[in-house]
Amino acid sequence: MQSAVLVKAEDSQDVLHKAVGRMSDLGAEFADAKSQTIRNVGISSMNGELRQLVRKSTGGVCLRAWMNGRWGYGTATSFDPAAVMRAAEDAVRNASGDGRPGMELEPSAVRRHERAHVRIHPDSVGIDEKISAVLELDSAQGVDPKVVNRMGAYSEEIKDNLLVNSAGSDLGWEEVRTLCRAMSVAADGGRMEQYYGGPDSTLGFEVVKDSDLELIGRTTAEEAVKTLSAERAPSGQMTVISDPMVSGLLAHEAMGHASEGDEITKRRSFLTGAVGRRVASEAITMYDNGTVPGAHGSVPFDDEGTPSGCTKIIDKGVYTGYMHSLETAARLGCRPTGNGRAENFGKRTWVRMTNTYFGPGDWEKDDLVADTRRGILCDKMVNGMEDPVGGCFEAKCLRGFLIENGEVTRMVRSFTLTGKSVEILSSADALTREVVLDGGMCGKGIEDWVRVSSGGPYMRARMIVGGGQ
Amino acid sequence: MSVYPDDRAIQALKRYDQAEVYVSETVVRTVYIDGSRISNVETKVDSGMMFRMTDGGRTGKSSVSLNSEGAVQDCLDMAESVLSRSPEAKSLNGYAIPASPRIPAPDVWDRRVEDASAEDLRELARQVIDNCRVDIPRAQIRVSCTESRTVNGNGVDVGHRSTLVYGHFTSMARLEHPGEGMETYHGTGLDLDPVAIAESLSRKAEAAAGCREYKGSEKLSMILPPSELGDMLLSAVGSAVNGENRKYGRSRWAGSLGEKVASDSLTVVDDPSVRAPLSCVYDDEGTPAERKPVIEGGVLKGFLNDTFCGGSTGNGMRRSSVEPQGAYDRTPTIKPLNLVVKPGSMPLDRIIENTDSGILVEKFAWPEADELTGRFGLNVRCGYVVRKGEVVGTVNNALLMGNMLDAVANIEMIGNDPVQTGVVTTPTMSFSGTELVGN
Repeated sequence: MQSAVLVKAEDSQDVLHKAVGRMSDLGAEFADAKSQTIRNVGISSMNGELRQLVRKSTGGVCLRAWMNGRWGYGTATSFDPAAVMRAAEDAVRNASGDGRPGMELEPSAVRRHERAHVRIHPDSVGIDEKISAVLELDSAQGVDPKVVNRMGAYSEEIKDNLLVNSAGSDLGWEEVRTLCRAMSVAADGGRMEQYYGGPDSTLGFEVVKDSDLELIGRTTAEEAVKTLSAERAPSGQMTVISDPMVSGLLAHEAMGHASEGDEITKRRSFLTGAVGRRVASEAITMYDNGTVPGAHGSVPFDDEGTPSGCTKIIDKGVYTGYMHSLETAARLGCRPTGNGRAENFGKRTWVRMTNTYFGPGDWEKDDLVADTRRGILCDKMVNGMEDPVGGCFEAKCLRGFLIENGEVTRMVRSFTLTGKSVEILSSADALTREVVLDGGMCGKGIEDWVRVSSGGPYMRARMIVGGGQ
Repeated sequence: MSVYPDDRAIQALKRYDQAEVYVSETVVRTVYIDGSRISNVETKVDSGMMFRMTDGGRTGKSSVSLNSEGAVQDCLDMAESVLSRSPEAKSLNGYAIPASPRIPAPDVWDRRVEDASAEDLRELARQVIDNCRVDIPRAQIRVSCTESRTVNGNGVDVGHRSTLVYGHFTSMARLEHPGEGMETYHGTGLDLDPVAIAESLSRKAEAAAGCREYKGSEKLSMILPPSELGDMLLSAVGSAVNGENRKYGRSRWAGSLGEKVASDSLTVVDDPSVRAPLSCVYDDEGTPAERKPVIEGGVLKGFLNDTFCGGSTGNGMRRSSVEPQGAYDRTPTIKPLNLVVKPGSMPLDRIIENTDSGILVEKFAWPEADELTGRFGLNVRCGYVVRKGEVVGTVNNALLMGNMLDAVANIEMIGNDPVQTGVVTTPTMSFSGTELVGN
């Protein structure tokens, strides 16, 4: 099964140029070729022992041909010139057939090669130090016999990308992402609860060096134990103060997905034709910004070679614009926004978010709580689901606290938020000063996971709360 | 089998106390529908290997995609570098040992999938579009052929090949407030019926468009069809019977073997002998797969294990039932191969007739329960409200709340309409004790 191939990713630039030339010769109106090598180190522990210790290296090429208004893809996990040329021919063949001629893309023509801006490159750190970090996160969780499962985790991902297109781009860039995490499961009788914590970023090993791992692990365990005594959350429509994580989930799920250009071209989004319309209170401004230094969703270029940018989606409550790939920008007569992204070389490139967040308000958190007669304060998210067609969303919260007469009182266990996005954001009346981003993975609908972050300040709004049993 | 590890990897197996090499190769073809027209067509080839070993209490593991001459050696060197720095583990179970098959080979290779061209897929997609009364904003049909081989130093040398067909379709009525329908096809053969899918998509989108926002809150019965129940059972019951969750105290049923955990009417087996996406003779570690009772008459009969947990039941899987690429990149984890719920005798209309107050959920935002606790609070995108045995309306924008591990102990009725969706085959079931909350 292994052919005698001699070309590695870093040497594939010339092959990519030839592949683009081949696709153009075969009739592609536009073509691009991308090679990618992804190196990972993954370490995790369970109850003081290593559970995972793995190094991975995957790589391959993705060739795209644009003809008659549609894409053909060819992909191979080989840098061998013959295999790349076969994939190029597959791409043209896949693009052929009925289409909508006459739609021109507006690709960038940029020539730049750059490394990731990190202080301590993970390659420069020995695996011993990474293992130690994981075990420290793990052992710090041993604060209470009710903590039945301690987990520490470290992961790094180094992506080396090369991209060439028929518009003249010749790009090379590196992406580095580093994450460490603690997760505790606490049990008491038949009851079980969990809590998690830890940083993530497009930075290097400084993420670990600059963190107090003992504090992260200990706090995670203590909070898991405290959650065992949490009550069931109330249900019904009520005032909710979302924390930055849950605010981000709202930005991402409630408005972000519905602002992806492909949902607009298909008229699948409730925000189709919404530019200039009021969709939120004046307190709300929202961005998708792939240039935030160090944020988990930041990229210098998207996977089509468009330089990353900042798109203002909502400006003081008024809807201002969509995120675009090359294709959706062409379909709607707009400029690409640097949101054409793919999970990796083997996956489809389409409109995806980067770092999506609400801008700040002018409240302090304590004042916001004191100003709330009755409500619920969220603490950490679990996951969420978009509904671009119906204009609703679903956001699951790990736990929260009741607010009664301006004071935080009892803890409540996991609950779900839902409601109509425009109604909720129109009810938002107070946001705090500090914006915090939290990294994660976004699967658009069902799969194709890309690294993103989302966030915002603490935000007060009315929504439907459902307390799980 | 044409897929076999490189000689250098086979030789390396002899150098360690325990060692294993896994290779997989996949060819994938996908056609996408965007805005009721065929957009992208993709052809992908993906191959790679994972090498893992234990030696003197230490462990090493590495995976690579086989994209260059040096890839195999890179993989072996990386695994060795990991092993050399690994701390010693207190307890390590060995990898699989050679054993005879325990079930006949399931029929998981469809020649039609192997032969399917991009044009064949386009034609299938075209038929779905042409037969649909409503828009199809987003859909994909993906077919794949995967071959894999597991060889280890204990003498295990087993191969597997299977085809996978995955179709995911969304639909939208052409109205001002459209509502959305969804349909999934998930199997090993090219038996996807484009006309039936188009009809279902049309019906679901039209039903969703007719939904009214639910107001108020009430306790009522939850009736879940196979399309929503499959993933709910997989996330809750699949996690509760996972041997690793039991080992680490993350299963609510950890101490319940032989005890009653569900209603008498619930019987579940993990059956890899019948046609399903993960069915196989040997799991991805080389342990024979077998038909295993999981719950019998409501009593917990067994947990699913891999070699890491010990006492492997043949459930150590790298392959995914949905994503054909990258099997070599995944460490084996415990997965049900094919959970089958024993059907009851009631047709769906009898279940509705026998329900005093309930909601039949056509579509959740995403059907899942919390894997640790079984809790759920799910947005109902389209649900039929049942009062005194009759459907009286359709609702959306409500939260249905409950606990799936409690729900299986509160089963009211089980339908006679089993459907296989991925690795779960289940009929419609109704449960008491859930709560619906709206605006």
